Amino acid sequence: MSTAVTKGQSASPGEAKSKPTLHPVAMADTPAAQAVSIGRPALLLGALYVRMPALINDPVAALNSALPFVVLVQIAYAAICLPIAGAPTVAKSTKKPRAGEKKRTESTAPALFKASLPQSSQSFLALILTVITVPAVHILFVLFGAPLLDHVARTLLCAAHFSILAAFPLFYTRGVDAQAMLALAGAYAPLDEVSGGVLGAVLGAWLGAVPIPLDWDREWQKWPITIVVGMYLGYAVLSKGVGTLFYGKRLAKAPGEGNE
Amino acid sequence: MAPRSPNKAKASPSGSQQSEYQAIKQQWEKAKRAAESKNDGTSPIPTGIPDGPPGVTERQRLEKLEKQQSEIDSSRKRAYERKWKWTCGFWVWVLAIHSIAIYLFTSGFLLTRLVLEDKSTCDAPPIDSVVKAPGNTDKGCWHPKTFDRAVVVIIDALRYDFTVPHLEGQPRHAFHDAMPFLYESARDSPQNAFLRPFIADPPTATLQRLKGLTTGTLPTFVDLGSNFAGTAIEEDNLLMQLRDAGKKIAQIGDDTWWSLFPGYFEPNISKAYDSFNVWDLHTVDNGVIDNIFPLLGANSGKGWDLLIGHCLGVDHAGHRYGPDHAAMTGKLQQMDEFVRQLTESIDDKTLLVVMGDHGMDAKGDHGGESDDEVEAALWMYSKKPVFGRTQKDFVTPPPTAKIRPVNQIDLVPTLALLLGIPIPYNNLGKPIEEAFSGPKGNDWQNLHAVSRIAAAGVQRYQDSYFKARGIAPANGAGSPSDLWAKALEVTKSSHQDAYNAFSSFQQETLSVCKSLWARFDLPRMVAGVVLAAIGVVVLVMYSAKDADDDFVVTNDIELDYAEKRLELLSYQTKGKDEEVEPVKDYHMELLRGLWDRRVIFVLLIAGGVSFIRREPKDAAMMTATTTLLIAVLVSVTHSAVTLQQTGRTILNTLPQTLWGWMALVFTVSQSIGFASNSYTVWEDTILQFFTTTFGVLAAISSFRVESRLERTLGIYHSVVFVLLARLASYSKLCREEQMPYCTSTYYASTASSTSAPWQLAIPVVIGLVLPSIIKSFILPTRSWEGLSPVWVQTVFRAGLMIAAVYWVIDAADNGDWVAGRPGAEHLKAIGIYVAQLGLALAFIAGSTAFIWAPPSVNVVSTASTNPPASQQPQARVTILGYGNALGARYLMLPLNILIGLCILTKPMGTGALGLMLWQIMSLAEVVDILGIKSEAIAPVMLAMLGNFYFFRTGHQATLASIQWDSAFVALRTLRYPWSPLAVTLNTYGAQILAAACVPLVTCLWKVGPKQKGVLETASRGLGLFVAYYAVEALATMSWAGHLRRHLMLYRVFSPRFMMAATALLVVDVLGIGIAMLGLRSNTLAVGEVFGWAE
Repeated sequence: MSTAVTKGQSASPGEAKSKPTLHPVAMADTPAAQAVSIGRPALLLGALYVRMPALINDPVAALNSALPFVVLVQIAYAAICLPIAGAPTVAKSTKKPRAGEKKRTESTAPALFKASLPQSSQSFLALILTVITVPAVHILFVLFGAPLLDHVARTLLCAAHFSILAAFPLFYTRGVDAQAMLALAGAYAPLDEVSGGVLGAVLGAWLGAVPIPLDWDREWQKWPITIVVGMYLGYAVLSKGVGTLFYGKRLAKAPGEGNE
Repeated sequence: MAPRSPNKAKASPSGSQQSEYQAIKQQWEKAKRAAESKNDGTSPIPTGIPDGPPGVTERQRLEKLEKQQSEIDSSRKRAYERKWKWTCGFWVWVLAIHSIAIYLFTSGFLLTRLVLEDKSTCDAPPIDSVVKAPGNTDKGCWHPKTFDRAVVVIIDALRYDFTVPHLEGQPRHAFHDAMPFLYESARDSPQNAFLRPFIADPPTATLQRLKGLTTGTLPTFVDLGSNFAGTAIEEDNLLMQLRDAGKKIAQIGDDTWWSLFPGYFEPNISKAYDSFNVWDLHTVDNGVIDNIFPLLGANSGKGWDLLIGHCLGVDHAGHRYGPDHAAMTGKLQQMDEFVRQLTESIDDKTLLVVMGDHGMDAKGDHGGESDDEVEAALWMYSKKPVFGRTQKDFVTPPPTAKIRPVNQIDLVPTLALLLGIPIPYNNLGKPIEEAFSGPKGNDWQNLHAVSRIAAAGVQRYQDSYFKARGIAPANGAGSPSDLWAKALEVTKSSHQDAYNAFSSFQQETLSVCKSLWARFDLPRMVAGVVLAAIGVVVLVMYSAKDADDDFVVTNDIELDYAEKRLELLSYQTKGKDEEVEPVKDYHMELLRGLWDRRVIFVLLIAGGVSFIRREPKDAAMMTATTTLLIAVLVSVTHSAVTLQQTGRTILNTLPQTLWGWMALVFTVSQSIGFASNSYTVWEDTILQFFTTTFGVLAAISSFRVESRLERTLGIYHSVVFVLLARLASYSKLCREEQMPYCTSTYYASTASSTSAPWQLAIPVVIGLVLPSIIKSFILPTRSWEGLSPVWVQTVFRAGLMIAAVYWVIDAADNGDWVAGRPGAEHLKAIGIYVAQLGLALAFIAGSTAFIWAPPSVNVVSTASTNPPASQQPQARVTILGYGNALGARYLMLPLNILIGLCILTKPMGTGALGLMLWQIMSLAEVVDILGIKSEAIAPVMLAMLGNFYFFRTGHQATLASIQWDSAFVALRTLRYPWSPLAVTLNTYGAQILAAACVPLVTCLWKVGPKQKGVLETASRGLGLFVAYYAVEALATMSWAGHLRRHLMLYRVFSPRFMMAATALLVVDVLGIGIAMLGLRSNTLAVGEVFGWAE
């Protein structure tokens, strides 16, 4: 959600009048994809559990060393489970267009993200976009009350983890499609594993701030451990949960569809 | 500033404003007429106005219409005034409920005691002594002294049963028999040592206990003294007496002593340790042990007369592990060894006292008044045989704390007489028997002498206390004064009888004082909480919107115009019938319970009964309180039932939308958080977190706005809203509990209350930039008309600049920048005049201008240059600023208030308040763009901003953070009521500004003059705004009552309750007052010009 906010501002909003329907991201329907889809949250949470003592001991080192691992997990996940931005799979799943609605799914994908692009370059481009969002997420953390000058490395690494979890699949599946970004920023994009993950990471990170002020003097109250834990928990639970239970539903109506 | 009715002004028009006012009105009328005549026949709006009877000219017809219009207007105006009065009546009633609830709770919770400033002096004993008193501090002031020096070791939370042997048949715990030395030494050498239970007076927190142990009085939460901003003890006390007698005091250990007695301790040999790090069991104790022995040695030079050691390990072990834990055994054994070594190190002329300041409960916590918490131990030791027992059974120390306990305050006269200094003036204790009965235990003359002198001191204190308080002390049989008279009559021959008589006098006095000062009155507290809760329910029911309450902003001038014609039509057909005014008013119905015959009946009966029975004052007060409570309950119930019947049901209060839920979650989660000292301490950060959350969600919602321009603006203002909150968060004054995670920026340094030179630039920047920012909000609504440009650009800016100039003068005065130059001595006077000028501009000129100002609109009438071919050329009437007629004019009010607040707030606070107004304007824009004006989140977010900026203007929920010096900004001396008002405006300025902005954000901004239901919507918004503060007051009240035994009660929970209660009352009185008056004069002014909306 928050990534999307900052992202959405820079993206030029599409014309409100012509509205091609935005489709939820469909998971690949292979046994491997299903295995990865279930195994990934377990893998992420398991890794978090195992690395918990290290995280409490030295957050910067632990977050730093975990980053490549999480990137690899996400790239594998994207490659196996997710459709590439502008891939024909999206168009294929299109139901019959309503009267007066143009079918222009293909054309909304920018030229960078051609379906013909190999998956590796697609991952690479999405990764670059993800890196660009990291400072934005960092600023968002600061706006919510994270220290501006102290613990910069911790906040930055926390933001990096947030981006790789939430933003990377987003860019992989949506590219820089302005309309999709706008829909995500306005929280009226259809729910699926990817947008559910964003929602979960945001909610988890938000709730993760709750125990910080308590005067329990525990080591795990150190910034940003609770945020990271909340983020991973929320992401793991909601990406799978929302993707399964609320697939295709929406949090809010799109503009022009009447009031909420 | 009570608004005068504009009607009166019309009778005597004066000034250019008035004529401008008239001019706009005339222009509007003229344009309307022109439009009407031109439109006749060709108007696209179906007029439906029947043509006049034949033969009547056009002019006559128009005049008739105008007359009818003015009749409608005047009737509407009367209806509005009546409605407004009843709405105000409702708010006064809400204020009454809040006041009564807070009064009830407070009277049961915050017990207050007057601090007398009198001091005992060596040469003026309260009574002539029985034994010959030396009369000087070398040999003893009021009584011959026994010791030259004393070593007082406080083992924090040393419960009595930690020091006595395990009793047969009782369960055995880790703390048993770990510290046997005190008991054994008292039993084996009774002339050198004694051990007795030592009963603390609640609250059993160290700070309050130290007050009791040094002053000899019962501490209450609020000791009303000349200055309750600081924690330093100002009452007469042992340490003060010692210092005044030229003695030296050294202290090692708990740093609470240092805040209570700043500047008392010998700097080189004293050493303070942090007292609240309960996880650390050893640092303080090891520090005390390491540092104390070098001071005791023969060649130490004895740089002290009183040496205080304060160990915290036992207390911390209790907090961390509880008493039944191996860590406790270890700590007690360490203390046992420590005391043993002490007895070996002191000399003959030194008294050694070891004691606990309180006990601990089964979990190891303390603060309350349970037996385990108040039962500490007291042990005194002397190398030479001094102590005695009046009975042989007394030699063995009591096996439990229930037998032969002494009060902690008894230590004060005991130590004072043993060391030969005067007994502190406020002492209520009596000398401890063992210390004065002589080695043989039969020195009754000495006991008589010390008890007589101590009792006379108590009597002297009681006299002055009752005199200062203006209460007559009880004087029946068995009362203190009766016992005092009897004790004096006992002949001096029987020392034992005299001793007993003085002792019973002291006991009775103490119990009278205890009931006066140190008990919570639970029924009153519960009554207060229940009433506050009911008040919140009624307020929320009142404020919840139902289906009929849709506040639809149309701002369509053509629609308004058509409606006006329809009204005229129906007026013509129905004639005067329409004018029958509704007798019943909604708010009147709500208040009807107040003059319910049953209530009056009950009140009369109760009053009559209490009058006839001539009840004493206390009982009469009790009856009065009870009947008042019944009356209030009946009245509240009536309102609740009325609300329920008129469709504002309890179910209706449940949120329907995301925004409603957000308001609920923010308010409730914060209220729950007040149960935790951490969330209370970090409230400022939590408010920023919630504010940012709202801003981010508002940005997300803005993405769903259809119009591209509006969407961009919505996102822009949401982002600005969030950024401003973060920027403002850099202005902070940290409270002690936030250390070390917080750095204060409000003042030049942590040890000063003046501003740094660079901070003086902040008000200048605000003065330069803020008017332009305000202009940028007004300009797009085309309301930059009427008085707005002059007021915002010139007067507002001038006011802010006056504030900036004042603070520069203040800094120059404080920093002696112009010292030695001519005129330096007038600096303070100049500053005061500047401040007064600014305040006059803000409140007197500002209010006058606000009342007389015309709406910020301009009527432009131009000939249509390009008429459609089918129509004849017609005049185009454009009213600039029509769509924001209500909002742009009302905005002047918050601007005026801001000027006043900036003068009373330090430079850093001016910056914060400037950001606050900007943030509020952004909020108004976002709320308008998202169409959530009537959602609960708008007023709740304003209320949260009010609290957020309370913290940003250098305040905390602590008494110490009150900026008393603001009373002297515009005045040289204390003047009532202006000085308290200035401190109130300084303290709750942010909340007052937020309250004044509630009508602006919830219904006026970007709303046209013909809007219906403005008063109702604004009042509902105010209801939710006040409800936020009422919920906070209720929550803090309940938690403070529930946690009245909590360690942090007096540091965290009580101050927060006091802040919530006073904030609620201030918002009720000043906030609602300003908002309602502003709303009224705004509506009147706009209604005069544009005619009245329904």
